Amino acid sequence: MSLTLLEGSLLVFVLCCALGAALLKDTMASVIAFAAYSLGISIIWLVLQAPDVGLTEAAVGAGIMTILFLIALANTVTPDVDSLFESVRWRTVALVGAFVLVMAATIPSLPAIGDPTAPVVGGEVTQYYLANAYKETQVHNAVTAVLAAYRGFDTLGEAVVVFSAGVVALSVLRREVFA
Amino acid sequence: MVEFATAMLAIAAAFVLFAVVALYRVFVGPTIHDRVIAVNVAGTNTVIAIALVAAAFEESTFLDVALVYALLNFLLSIAFSKFNVEHGGVL
Repeated sequence: MSLTLLEGSLLVFVLCCALGAALLKDTMASVIAFAAYSLGISIIWLVLQAPDVGLTEAAVGAGIMTILFLIALANTVTPDVDSLFESVRWRTVALVGAFVLVMAATIPSLPAIGDPTAPVVGGEVTQYYLANAYKETQVHNAVTAVLAAYRGFDTLGEAVVVFSAGVVALSVLRREVFA
Repeated sequence: MVEFATAMLAIAAAFVLFAVVALYRVFVGPTIHDRVIAVNVAGTNTVIAIALVAAAFEESTFLDVALVYALLNFLLSIAFSKFNVEHGGVL
């Protein structure tokens, strides 16, 4: 009961932060709301029993991302803010709302957390990770092993995306170094 | 008699709700100082909530996350404040 209460209030907190990060017109306020969003989402990871993911979220989401945003703000011009929130087109809100409803319609068909009869538990892949994760990666937490070791190719793909974004930014700006 | 874990989780939920209240100040500002202090309050509340969740689940490793957050929360406030004063001079 109180776990549901905690999860509910966490979701309210995260949702408010996300809306603030998206809608606040002052960029600095938006960055601050985003940092608060990371704080909330890492508690959600903890409640879902994944402390390593929570720790990563803390270091990357609240720490490095915020510093990166601040550096970006320092190197750009901040326009004067006349209103508190961005103006929102209602047609866009209706479209996004409809999309969220479609996504939310799939939630009831998810198995409960920790349900032993859920199809994913008996799955071949899950059983392989549970049996071999420690032997192959020397990481005690199976979730962390999947996230940090087995998902290495995914991380490589992300690194390629970041690298090409940097290269494209440099070529668009006609510069040779980030300075 | 309420169970220990239930009570801890309920108190953690209360602290998260307090953090939601602090978010109001993040939204309306009006100055950057209000927002920095508000996000600091929200961060402190999350540290307490993490510690309470650690007590409820009896997982002492969760306390490490709370420690990291306590440090990071302090660092964030300093970064925002110094950025605001020197406009990127510190970075």
